[in-house]
Amino acid sequence: MVRTRTNIHAPAPASALHVNNISKSYGTSPALDPITIEVTPGERVALIGHNGSGKTTMMRIAAGLLDASNGAVSIYGHASGSLSARASLSFIADQPTFYDDLTLWEHMEYVARLHGVEDWEQTAADLLGHLGLYERADDMPNRFSRGLKQKSAIALGFIRPFDLLLVDEPFVGLDASGKEALLELLASASDNGSTVIVATHELSFVHTVQRVIALRDGRLVYDGLTEGIDVDRLVRTEDPAGEHDGEGK
Amino acid sequence: MTSATIGIDALRAMRSDRRKHRVEDMDWFEALYRVYLAAFLGLGAIFFLSGLVGDAAFTSADLVNIHTHSPHVVGLVAALAVFIGLRSGANGGPLAVEDAEVRHVLMAPISHAQVLRHPAIQRLRTFAFAGALTGGVANQLLGRRVPNHPSLGLFATYGAIAGAIIGVLFVVSALLAHGLGIARWLTTAIASVLISWQVAVTIGDTNVAGPFDVVGSIALGWSRVNVFDAFGVLVILVLTAVSISLVGRFSLEALARRSALVSQMKFAVTLQDVRTVVLLRRQLSQEHMRVKPWVKVPRVLRRDVVVGRGFRSMMHFPLRRIIRMKLLVIAAAGAMVLAWRGTTPMVVPAGLALFVLGLDVVEPLSQEVDQPDRTDALPVERGLIMTKHLIVPAIASLLFLPAGVITVLVLEPGASSVGYAVLLGIIALLGGVAGATINSVKGAPDPLSGANQGLSLPPEVSGMGTVIRSGWPPVVSIIACLPVLALRYGIENQTDILGNTLRATGGVVILLVLVAGWVRQRDAILAYFRTLKPPTSSPTSITESN
Repeated sequence: MVRTRTNIHAPAPASALHVNNISKSYGTSPALDPITIEVTPGERVALIGHNGSGKTTMMRIAAGLLDASNGAVSIYGHASGSLSARASLSFIADQPTFYDDLTLWEHMEYVARLHGVEDWEQTAADLLGHLGLYERADDMPNRFSRGLKQKSAIALGFIRPFDLLLVDEPFVGLDASGKEALLELLASASDNGSTVIVATHELSFVHTVQRVIALRDGRLVYDGLTEGIDVDRLVRTEDPAGEHDGEGK
Repeated sequence: MTSATIGIDALRAMRSDRRKHRVEDMDWFEALYRVYLAAFLGLGAIFFLSGLVGDAAFTSADLVNIHTHSPHVVGLVAALAVFIGLRSGANGGPLAVEDAEVRHVLMAPISHAQVLRHPAIQRLRTFAFAGALTGGVANQLLGRRVPNHPSLGLFATYGAIAGAIIGVLFVVSALLAHGLGIARWLTTAIASVLISWQVAVTIGDTNVAGPFDVVGSIALGWSRVNVFDAFGVLVILVLTAVSISLVGRFSLEALARRSALVSQMKFAVTLQDVRTVVLLRRQLSQEHMRVKPWVKVPRVLRRDVVVGRGFRSMMHFPLRRIIRMKLLVIAAAGAMVLAWRGTTPMVVPAGLALFVLGLDVVEPLSQEVDQPDRTDALPVERGLIMTKHLIVPAIASLLFLPAGVITVLVLEPGASSVGYAVLLGIIALLGGVAGATINSVKGAPDPLSGANQGLSLPPEVSGMGTVIRSGWPPVVSIIACLPVLALRYGIENQTDILGNTLRATGGVVILLVLVAGWVRQRDAILAYFRTLKPPTSSPTSITESN
């Protein structure tokens, strides 16, 4: 069901995602301090951090939707935003967007064919069935509830082939069955050899990954194995090292 | 798999299908009605303005002046279009594709150049058409005052060509600035040099050509054709081709940001919601309030909390907004001088410029209107708060008076010019505030409110009602500029010049007082009208009575 691997990389490059010293600022306000991250092909990574920590900024820069103020990002050896990078990368954003005048089924066809997939129908039917959207295929996704929109965005993210899947806060608004379906799709993508990076607070996902990257106030504060980490402590807004004694004003 | 042509067929097919859907779904009656209304109003405006222009034919000295100065003056309009275009491009303009197009098409492995070429050409077409329409109308208005003039069609044609070029210049400058990724400060510097050069040749009365004189020269095609103009047009065509070839280099970040804002802006325009358009336009051009105030508002000015809040708001205005407001005042003063010299319709752009200035200056009031829950929760009458909110905008608008007076003095040197500029300037600036206040206080029309019950009326009646409702605020600002005509009448007829002007300004003052009174008593007036309406029966009561 999940169309992973675009098979455009021979031989496979050393990194699926290479974030090289990128930073981002809006005017004089820094959103992301210089960060370097390397994710190897096939890895399953959770990106965590409190609200405003820079997760979405980093995801968007990696996807090519935001221009970094400094530094460079490459996807499977190709510059972020280039044709090859776009072919390899599927990005499911936190705010789903759809055309006003296309049904969900028409969206599926459009996105699949934009990516050169002509035999899309069975995959689309399977995906929509899996996410519980099959009955709504002929409705306009722009009029869906938040949860159904999220499911539709997930379906669109998986209808096309990819090597690297970036997903930003995908569990927000999903019901229990939706979460379960998404976890299965993510696992399936991983099993097929794709690299999966998910920005989330969802512990059920964080506990299934090998690696966790944590951001706080635009800085990288943890990058390592999942085992033994205290996720709650990492996503707290205060400094976990207790450098501030709380005796301020 | 990663070739630039991947998915292009799908894109073309889907665009074609969507176009077909739109045509199929179009309500033809509604579309024709809109065309009819636009043509009706457009032609009405043209005939009205044409009638106003018929006051005096140009003398031979005027005609010499026109031939000498109009290339510079029209070139100044073109320079302004380039200035705005370059700034728009540096801020991520001029294209605004759908949000979904950014997410699904521009993130697909398809050449951005192929995707964006079509919207870029569409944008060029739209602005060329709008420019041609404006230029054509303006030039035929001029033609009416030329004695023994050739066909008005000839005036309209050359005006349309010049107008179309100005429209194209705007889009091309924006495409170039964005495509070449020129930094914002550099685009501002380039644009400032170009506009300063054009201003210098316009005001300086030199024989040096301005960078955009060619556009003005084309507008004069009804009297003479200059072969160098063709060269200018050729250069613009080359720049157009180059700018379109650069669309593939557009920033996805800028396109994503604009796409969401522009779709909201279009919706706000359909609702005639000027306030929302202003707010979204500020976001589009990334115009943010200063975090640090210019100066701390002294305690004495904060004695009244509402007035103090107004001053504090002004202290956060960004520099670019203040510069824009100053330019609007200069433009309005220039237009009023032209009206004084005999081109009556120039009171319209003068009033509109001051209305736009007013929209900026009534910011504290508009912020209050934007937060109705806050004012409703206060143990103070809303009308009183709103009336107090008029004080600071009125004072702030008058701070721009010197810019207007200096403009008048440059264009019409003389001691009496200063006196009349101060008198007319105060009234016109307050008129701009009054128009903007009406616009802000009345808010956007609610499509579900009783105000739209007129939809059951014949289309002509309800349509005109909507037009009058939206058009009334700028009309108030234009009315406040009319005393300049009384001044002109007094001079032309050698009657009581000061008396005429004072009587006209007195009329406007009454209008301004009425606007302030309306702001104060609006809630009471609305409440009174509500008591006159028969109570509507709810669906429940209908069921029960059945």
